[in-house]
This record gives sequence, structure tokens and C-alpha cells, in this order.
Amino acid sequence: MSASKRSTIIVEHLRRQQMLDLISVGKRLQGRALDEMRPLEIEVDIIKKANGSAKVKLGDSEVVAGIKVETGEPFEGLENKGALIIQAEVLPIASPHVEPGPPDEDTIELARVVDRGIRESEMLNLDKLVLVPGKIVYTVFVDCSIINTDGNLLDATSYAVVSALLSCKLPVFEIHDGKVVDTGKTQDPPLTTIPVSITQVRIGDTIILDPTAEEEACMNARITITTNSESCYAAIQKGFTGGFTIEQIKKAAETARIKGEQVRAKLQELTNKNG
Amino acid sequence: MSQTRSLIDKQGKRTDGRTVEQLREVKMAVGVVKNADGSVFIEFGKNKIIVAVYGPREVHPKHMAQSDRCVLRCRYHMSPFSTDTRKNPAPSRREVEISKVMREALEPALMLEDYPRAAIDVYVEVLQADGGSRCAGISAASVALADAGINMRDLVAACAAGKVDDKIVLDINDTEDKEGGADMPVAYMPHLDEVTLLQLDGILTRDQFNQCFDTAVEGCKMVYEIQKQALMQKYFGNETEVKEEVQ
Amino acid sequence: MQELKRKYVIPGDKIVDGNFRPLMNVIRIGDSIISTRIGIAEAGRDGIKVIPLSGVYIPRINDIVIGKIVDRSSLSWDVDINSCFSAHLPAQDVFGRDFSPARDDMNREMATGDLITARIIAFDRTRDPMLTVQDRDLGKIPRGESLKISATRVPRLIGKRGSMIQTIEQATQTRVIIGQNGVVVVTGRSQGGIELAVKAIKMVEEEAHTSNLTQRIKVLLNVPDTTPAQPQLSQSTSSSVPAAMSATSKDISEVSPTKSELQSAPNDIQQPLRKEQQSQDKEEQEQQPSSRHHLGQEKASVSSSDGSPSSSSPTSADAISLPSSHSKSRSQDERGRKSDDQRSVAGVTGGDTRKAKTYVKGVHEGLQEHDKKEANS
Repeated sequence: MSASKRSTIIVEHLRRQQMLDLISVGKRLQGRALDEMRPLEIEVDIIKKANGSAKVKLGDSEVVAGIKVETGEPFEGLENKGALIIQAEVLPIASPHVEPGPPDEDTIELARVVDRGIRESEMLNLDKLVLVPGKIVYTVFVDCSIINTDGNLLDATSYAVVSALLSCKLPVFEIHDGKVVDTGKTQDPPLTTIPVSITQVRIGDTIILDPTAEEEACMNARITITTNSESCYAAIQKGFTGGFTIEQIKKAAETARIKGEQVRAKLQELTNKNG
Repeated sequence: MSQTRSLIDKQGKRTDGRTVEQLREVKMAVGVVKNADGSVFIEFGKNKIIVAVYGPREVHPKHMAQSDRCVLRCRYHMSPFSTDTRKNPAPSRREVEISKVMREALEPALMLEDYPRAAIDVYVEVLQADGGSRCAGISAASVALADAGINMRDLVAACAAGKVDDKIVLDINDTEDKEGGADMPVAYMPHLDEVTLLQLDGILTRDQFNQCFDTAVEGCKMVYEIQKQALMQKYFGNETEVKEEVQ
Repeated sequence: MQELKRKYVIPGDKIVDGNFRPLMNVIRIGDSIISTRIGIAEAGRDGIKVIPLSGVYIPRINDIVIGKIVDRSSLSWDVDINSCFSAHLPAQDVFGRDFSPARDDMNREMATGDLITARIIAFDRTRDPMLTVQDRDLGKIPRGESLKISATRVPRLIGKRGSMIQTIEQATQTRVIIGQNGVVVVTGRSQGGIELAVKAIKMVEEEAHTSNLTQRIKVLLNVPDTTPAQPQLSQSTSSSVPAAMSATSKDISEVSPTKSELQSAPNDIQQPLRKEQQSQDKEEQEQQPSSRHHLGQEKASVSSSDGSPSSSSPTSADAISLPSSHSKSRSQDERGRKSDDQRSVAGVTGGDTRKAKTYVKGVHEGLQEHDKKEANS
């Protein structure tokens, strides 16, 4: 089965038991608290050939996102908006469990959930990325390459995309005689908000934040909640085979707001630095 | 191939300020991908490439396994944001060919017969491309293989030379590749004195060929010193001589 | 050979010119001995070798490994032994010869995700390693914290005659089981002790090649740094080692007495059976990194011994060869030897290195004891 390759990591029973024992008393492996994120490191503008780029390390999960801006036709039904395309690839360098080839369903879900968080929060104001309404618009490609996997790729990838967008410079295209011309100038992207994705998983009856690969291999259910700068919810994805109680969902939603603020503060620093 | 401007100025300086026999700046870091058995991040001029080695490990699918030797698999891939215009992430014909020549450049150095029925996977990911990425990839891959502890007869160092403004120059960059006259990537095992990759596109006279080839081999030797230094730094730090433990 | 100092090498580096015998991780090209690995080159008594500092675990017969059950077929379990070859544990090994897939529930004994300590009883170029758990101290590991280190660091973690691991165990009040494949399981009463032991083990792995590691470990563990009053076995027994190499033979000193016991055997490393004897010597395996032999060399052995699978055919003349890998023809006598073998190994891994040190003798005594028992019964 090609699907769910990453979740086929077999965790030793001893390790699993140790994890469950710790979680039942409110602790985790590596001494982390249940609602504690791993260290988040962000480096921006590492790929000079891209219009924007970022490398994000969340614990040992590592993602590079790069932005390429072109022009093209708008999407059908969205004639007066620029096009935003977010894609992800878990590179075969990233783990012994990944094989080269087209993205599997986990990776496609990953890219779509990240995309939804950015798109629905309207981080990038696509209305401002139109050259000829209905005909020619900016096409913003955000490609994410996952370089090392250790759980919670959803958040790591989302932070990489947001960081790349926050630090990117869009080329200025103009229309001369019906043709698109790259003026060589750059502009700041039309940004409206900073979406932050927070992923939590349920192991037994306990909900933990920012799971490692090992914890994901033991999880019963997963929920990813994206909030915007106003701490409003913008996108949610419940994943994996198990479910949540209503109470658990409500608590998770609160956690996503609180933790989201903390991560947002860190992302905000990038814009401050950037100008 | 037609040259639109001069790529070497009157002082003999190239577009990026180098002399004709100077390498671009090369940096190598060993052990950068935590999950991998061996890995290297190389910056070769503006090239930024991550190489990870997994193996020797079990072969999947099983039928690919060979009973008397290890299977070497190589994948050269460019990230969509690595080039001036966005590259489609699906593997192109160019990438497939480079994967093949890289594999064939590395294989002579590896003692694959030591690991029958197993596989070694070499994944080369180009995050930023700048002319000569295959050479940088091979050089980094060879170090990553050594980092993975695979038995090797020698390291493989690679470097290109080419013709720009009718002059033979070492290590041509992106601009020189696109606008210059000829490009000759070479991979070479310095101790075994064996060339494991040789390609050429462009016209060279007999003399130019000899000079170009010699220049490329000299470049390989310079790259080898950098490879060696990177490995030594990773494994032995600043210690150059074995110190005995005092008991 | 006397001139050769230990040195750091990378693949392709020339170690020395001249007529030396290539041992481990080196090849001869023309008149030179060339390293094939990153590591420390040194001259052994019989030739030149490189102690590698990286690389995956390559199975060897009689190695004790810690593996994880990853799958099960109707007749055997698949075990991940942290190598490029996945190992098999036959159900018959656990249930006995009259195992019946219909009657016996394999899952009740071992399930996917279980960790086991096992011994490799068969492995060569053509087939995957076969395991047994039928010995004392083998089988399912009921508790403990597991971690992986590079298999190349195992000898350093054990230390000279178990000194390193003994230091760690005593200071942290833990028990450490070490698989030759680099999987380590730490058990102990206090979580703090386990955490400290894990920290120390990781430090040994990280800094395996550096000088004064023992001292730094002692600082980490808060152990007063007194030099153990052990006789310098290496000095006394390495008299046959060239003088210039005596320093370098410290690390492999454990082997020297073993070798001297093997004096009766023809002292030619290239003889395949001789090589096998050596590689089957548990002590050497436990404590000497360079005894790891590679498939390439095994291949050489095979070809030079009329194609017989040398790695699994100790001859009867092979007096101290460990229990053979012919699991089917396993006799009572062999079982006896095995359990003795096992005790010794458990001794090493459990911290009682005295037993391991006198391992070879132990086998002889064990055999004699066993013979007596046999005679009595």
C-alpha cells in the first residue's frame, strides 16, 4: 500500500507503553509538556532564485518553501483573482520510509490543508494580483520540499509557506501592447493577515500538541486548526481514523487560538525584520 | 551558442570576478539530514544541493535485488523554485539522464559486492541551481556515501571546465554555461586516477580538448581537498592526529 | 609495520606502502594499502585494518542483537535488526519442532512491535539472517528504554573489558543490554538513572573517537576519576605485538589472550576457517571492533574453502568454536555450550565483565562441566 507510508512506522511496544504511561501523568518523551511545541527555527530568503523562500525547523521536521511568481490565466470562476498554487513534496531524502514518485495521499492532504489555511484566511489578497481582469493574472506558486520528517509536517509546512510569503518580494509585471513585461522592479506582496496552523493529536484520552513521528504513529486522531490574526478560525481539518468528543474539539479550538498567538508573534518578527 | 557579450574582461576576470583557473567558493557540511544514513549540504557557487544516502538497506521492490551485489539507485531532482523559471516538479528527461550518469560516475568507487541483495539510494536534491549542479551533486554524493560508511575504493570528485570567449576556464557558472562555447563536466577518482564521468557539449579543437580536460581534472583535485576537509572536520573535528586515551 | 602510527583516514587514503596484509576495511591496490572507510587506521598483528566510524550493522553469526518484530508470516517472524538485512525468527524456535500454525498462536508469544534479544545462528551472502531466542537471557525484552547508536560505536560503549559500560551502569544504577547491532536497552529503578545512562551512552556515541572520553563520561556521571587497579592486560599479553603498536593494541587488548589460546591453530589469517574461529569468538566480537568481518571477505572465505559456506561450518577440529549454526542438528551438548556462551554474553551486557573476560576459558570449563553432567546421567 502506497498510502499512509509515514504512518507505518512501527513503534516498539516498550516505547509505546512508555509514551502512554508518561502521557497519562501529563508528561511526554523528551520531557515536553502536553501543550508544548518543539523549538521553531525560521530562516528566510535562503533561495536567491526564488521570489521568496524560507526554511523552517520544527523540532527535527524540516521544510523548505520557495515562491515563484509568473503570469497566467486565472482559474475558472475566479476570473478577477490572482492564482495561488501551494504544492508539497516529501522528498525521498527526508526519511527512509519515503520513496520517489508522485505524491501519495498523505502528501496531497498535507498540501491541501496548508493551502486551505492560507487561502481561506485570505493572507494573500488575490484581488490585487490581477493584470487584465479575466485574462492575465499573477500566478503565485509556493512549492514546499520536506527535507527531514519527524512528525507534524502540517504545521511545519504551513509555517514555511507563511514565512516565505511574509518575506517575499513579488516582481512587478506590466502590460505593454497586450504583452506581459517584467519591469525588473519588485513590490511587497499584498498581505492581510498571518494564519497560524496548530495541530493536535489524541492519544488515548489525552490531547497533545505538535506530535513527533513516533507520537503520530501512536495517535488515534488528529486535528489541525488554522486561526488568523484576529484569532478567528479560518480552516480546520480533522484527520486520521479516530474521533474526538465535542468537549475535546472545543478545548482543542481554544488551544489553537492561544498557541496560535504565540507562533504568530514569532512569525510577525519576520515582517518587522523584512521592513 | 552565439556570444552576445564578452564574458572575460581585459584583466582576465570573469563575470563573477574569478580568474580562468579559479573555482567558485565551495562549502560542504556533512551530516545535515537527521534521518539519513549519510548526508551532505553543498554550496558550490550559487548551487545549493542536499544529498542524502540511505543504505545499504533492504530492496523494495524485492525483485530489483541482485544476488551478488548491491543495487545503487540515484535520483537527481530539482526543486521547483531552484531555477529562474519555475520547474515542474515531475522528473524531466534531463533529470533522468543526470541521475543515470551520476550513478555511473559513483558506482566505480563503491564496493557494491560487499552488500549483496541490498540497495543504496542516493538522493540529490537541488534547492538552487547555478551551472555545474551535476558535478556539485556527484562530489557531495560521494562524501555522503562515505558518511554512510559504505565501503569505497576512493572518493569521486567532480568539476567542469569549458570554453568561454575562446579561452579554457575552470568551473563554468550558469551564465558561462548558457552563453559560453563549451562545457565539459568531469568526475575523477584522485587516488585511483580514473575518470568516471566525462561529457562535453560544444566545439573544441584537439588542443582545446586536451587543455580543457586537464583543467577539469585539476579542478577535481581541488574539489577533492574540500571533500576531504569536510569529512575530516565532521569525524575528527580539529584533531588531525590520533591521541591515545590516557588511562 | 613498526613504523606505522594510527591515523585518521577517509576512503581512498593510502595507509601504507609495502607488503602488508589487508585485514578489515582496507584493500590492496598495487603496492599500497588503501582505506575503504572513514575511521582509524592501525596495524594489527597480522596486517592493516581500519576501525570504521560510520556504517550500518552487517550481521555476523553468533552476534547477539536486539531486534524489533515487524511482521509475521505463518511460520516465522520478521525481525528488524537495524541492518540492511531483515532477520527471521522461525516459529519452531519458540514453539519447538512440533509447531503447528493451526494450533499455536504466534501472536501470543510475540507480536509486531515487541523487542527481542536474539542470537544470529545463520547468515551468509545468499540468505537473510536467522535468529534464535533459545538461550538464557534471550527472548522478549519486558521493559526498558531503548535507543539506537551506530553499530560502529558498540565496542567503544562496552569499553576495555567492559569498563565503559560498567562505569555507566554502576553510576546510574541501571542495567544496560547492548546489541551488537547498535540497539541498546536501559532498565533501572529510577527514571533519573535511566535518563542519565541514556545521556552518557549518547555521549559515548558522539565522541567515540576523541581522547579522554572515559574521563569526560566520569565527569558527566559524577564518578571520582580513579584509575582502576587492573593489571594492564594489554601490556602483558601483547608481547607478540610489535612494540610500536602496543599503544594501539590497547583497544584490542582483550583479543590478545584469546589469540594466544588459539596458538595451536595455524596462524594464518587468510585461512577461512581460522577466520571463522576468530569471528566466532564471542569476546572478540563483543569488544573488538575490527573483528567485524565483511561480506566481501566472507566471499573470499567461501571461495577459498571449496565453496562450502564457511561461515556456518565450524569443523570438529575447531575446538573452541562456538555452538554451530546447524540448528537442526543441535545436540544436547551444543545446547549446553550455548547456554554457557549465553551466560558470558549476558555477563558482558549486564555488566559482569569478569565472565566475559574469561570467556574462552568459560567455554572450555562449561564444556567439561557439561561433559561431567552427561557422564553422570
